[in-house]
Amino acid sequence: MFSTILEQIVNGIVTGSVYAIVAVGMTMIFGVLRAINFAHGEYYMLGTFGAWFSIDYLGLSYEASIVVGVLSTIVIAYVVGKLVMQRMVGAPAESGVLATLGIALVLQNTVILVFGGGYKFFADGYIEPVSILGFSLAQQRILILVVCLLVFVGLELMVTYSRMGKSMRAVSQNVDCCEVVGIDVPQVVLRTFILGAALAALSGVLTAPVNVSVYGGMGELITFKTLPIIIMGGLGNVRGTFFAAMILGVAESLVATYVGLQFRDTVGFATLILMLMWRPHGLFSTQARF
Amino acid sequence: MTGLPILEIKNLRKSYGAVKAVNDVSIHINRGEIAGMIGPNGSGKSTFFDCSTGLAKPDTGTVKLDGQDITGWSLNRIAREGRMLRSFQKTVVFKSLDVEENLIIAGQMFTFPSLWSTFGLGRMSRQRVSGLRERARELIKMAGLWDVRHQPAGNLSGGQQKLIQFASMLMPDPKLILLDEPMAGINPKIIERVVETILYANKSLGVSFLVIEHNIDVVTSICQRVIVLDQGQKLVEGLPQDIIQDQRVREAYLGG
Amino acid sequence: MSLTETAQQIRRRDLRIPLGAILLVIALTAPFIGSRYVTHSLIIALIFMLPAHGLNLLVGYTGLLSLAQAAFFGIGAYTAGLLAVTYGTPFYVNVVAAGLAAGAIALPLGIPALRLRSTSFVMCTLGFVIIGQAIAKNWISVTRGDMGLSSIPKPHFALGPLSFTVSGTMGFYYLALAIGALATLAVWAIVRSPAGRNMIAIRENETLAESVGIPTWRYKLIVFMISAVFAGVGGSIYAHYLTVVSPLTFQMYYSTTMLIIVLGGGAGTISGVVFGSLLFVGLTEALRITPELRMIAYGLCLLALVFWFRQGFAPLINRFWNAIGGAK
Ligand SMILES: Nc1ncnc2c1ncn2[C@@H]1O[C@H](COP(=O)(O)OP(=O)(O)O)[C@@H](O)[C@H]1O
Ligand SMILES: [Mg+2]
Repeated sequence: MFSTILEQIVNGIVTGSVYAIVAVGMTMIFGVLRAINFAHGEYYMLGTFGAWFSIDYLGLSYEASIVVGVLSTIVIAYVVGKLVMQRMVGAPAESGVLATLGIALVLQNTVILVFGGGYKFFADGYIEPVSILGFSLAQQRILILVVCLLVFVGLELMVTYSRMGKSMRAVSQNVDCCEVVGIDVPQVVLRTFILGAALAALSGVLTAPVNVSVYGGMGELITFKTLPIIIMGGLGNVRGTFFAAMILGVAESLVATYVGLQFRDTVGFATLILMLMWRPHGLFSTQARF
Repeated sequence: MTGLPILEIKNLRKSYGAVKAVNDVSIHINRGEIAGMIGPNGSGKSTFFDCSTGLAKPDTGTVKLDGQDITGWSLNRIAREGRMLRSFQKTVVFKSLDVEENLIIAGQMFTFPSLWSTFGLGRMSRQRVSGLRERARELIKMAGLWDVRHQPAGNLSGGQQKLIQFASMLMPDPKLILLDEPMAGINPKIIERVVETILYANKSLGVSFLVIEHNIDVVTSICQRVIVLDQGQKLVEGLPQDIIQDQRVREAYLGG
Repeated sequence: MSLTETAQQIRRRDLRIPLGAILLVIALTAPFIGSRYVTHSLIIALIFMLPAHGLNLLVGYTGLLSLAQAAFFGIGAYTAGLLAVTYGTPFYVNVVAAGLAAGAIALPLGIPALRLRSTSFVMCTLGFVIIGQAIAKNWISVTRGDMGLSSIPKPHFALGPLSFTVSGTMGFYYLALAIGALATLAVWAIVRSPAGRNMIAIRENETLAESVGIPTWRYKLIVFMISAVFAGVGGSIYAHYLTVVSPLTFQMYYSTTMLIIVLGGGAGTISGVVFGSLLFVGLTEALRITPELRMIAYGLCLLALVFWFRQGFAPLINRFWNAIGGAK
């Protein structure tokens, strides 16, 4: 009994890590754009498809497919960023919602049109189980945990020390001042967006061997999972997002085991709605951005 | 009844985080009076208005309008039931609607007895609206906006928008009007027009006023009494000519 | 913008009547002109016009962007389907009940949701759709889960000894047309009433609206409920037309479709919604465009609407009317 709970919690943390890597990009994009990216999960899907394509069609190794998946997503994100996201600077929140909904529709359905709507099988990755502390855990899951930690440590360092991180922080704190100080806001938006999309793609590629199935609608599902996370985490708050993602991952895992698998995917939005009513500004402060 | 002040505010406080925007201010406005409120920028005048009219909730303090305690009422209820109307420092109009519609909207909730009745399209409802339209046209003429009455309000100049806002407040029969810097940033011609309208509303319609204004000439010419705020507190109040001589007021403006 | 229309309408009245008559004749004879499939497409367009009208009251007139419309559409569809299948109630009872149910559920959902601002409100309304679908899928004893409800009867009317069933596509077209016309008239009445003016005031500037005594919060709640009623009625007709209802009625895709109709046709105009349903739903259905291509087109439309054609087709429709009216 106790060990199943523990196992579910560990599984939940792995799932939480997957969400965290996706959500952190979304929350940073909110930080600089004040807009929610409803298409964010699609980059997760694109990364996964890129990797699946390079394994199934190009016969590349899993390691190479990670690179292909992330790089191809970066190219697409660059185009979308140039054409759409940069236009959203200073636009009302509603425009952001509508524009990114539009992007989500275009990306998702283009992929379905090209590769077909059916489920595909992702047949690679490090799926050997290893046992630590009496648990048996697939290598891939350990990899996800490690990458998640690296990503968050890296982001913290970047935001504190690098030029780009500092300008991101500046833009998310006060856009108007940035223009005076000479920070190129559209450039910061583009870079943040590409970084966020690349992280989402990375998360997708890392999760694919665990989830096994690859399909066009997978991005939408991830978007719906990360939306509650970034709100609960306090929009624009990186650390808050990390904890919210972990909470959701564990909660989902426990609900799936003890309440019913079919309720797993509603945990996020149900909590979100309850929380919006109780604490409209998130569990973690929105002030402590980055 | 007439001896009772129309508006009586006691011990009003409002903080934004560490900033004590309004710190224990008590004032009253007498019936039929035009009172002025001055003070350096950031002294809490607009916040004081917000808390008195229900746009913001005061931390402590009571607001009594015509003897009735209206503390905690919402902005719309204070306007509708209390007939205390206010303008905003940053001029606002319904931009895409024409001048006439702007005024009709401003009068609707005072003419229709309930929210449900506004959904009606019957004879009664049409009569009410045409009554409002007539009154709107009168006020438009008085405000000198007749030629632009069918233009979207957003296309008009800042001064004209101020006049729209002002005329809108006269659509119902208000008891009391609070004006937040009505003369700021408009040309002298329109200033004259606004002054005329304030005096007309005061004399002929019996409306009391509390006016935040930086233009000291206007304040001394129309106000019977001036209240000075500084750093969220009431510094002094008194006759306009006394106030401009007051050493503390000068210091507040110079040293603030 | 709709209020300034009045003046223009008087000027163009001469040509409006003949053109209106032609459009009316086309609407009335459409099933005889087009193929059965075209008639089917028009029915779908007319059904989607209902939730879109409701959404227009919310987005176009009151300025609230909502994605919840599909949830109320689904609630309407399930209410009608369950009543028809379980109790065998007649069509018109189901339609009314579906509208009322959607409107009633909108009250407890709207009260907390409308306390939220812009993005949070959008997110919350999206949550309603997702949770609605989960309930439809998992409350198996009532909704039959993924199987959904099937063999919902075609509309049946009984007036004393007279009774008839609307079973053919043609019959259903006239039924949908009548309901669509009624709904359009209802929206027109709401928009033209003093309340419609207050709604526009809220859209233009909520604080200013408050300051002239408009209880904005109560208006928003009422409009949210009215929009749900429209969606619920639409959903009930959808259920009776397709004779099946599944959890997929609760779909983001439907909310997006309704948004496209409203924004594409021209938010805050009634003719825009009518035109938008015909163009974005009727035409795409009639051309048998695959769902993927259609959604890509919708996506591109959304982008175009946000960045280039903020008012949708409304200005074009206006210009066309003015041109044929000889004004200017
Ligand atoms: N919404 C608000 N949030 C935080 N601080 C505010 C807010 N409104 C006003 N303040 C602060 O309260 C003080 C008084 O402002 P205000 O009432 O606008 O002064 P005035 O109208 O006299 O210029 C200022 O220090 C201002 O920064
Ligand atoms: Mg001020």
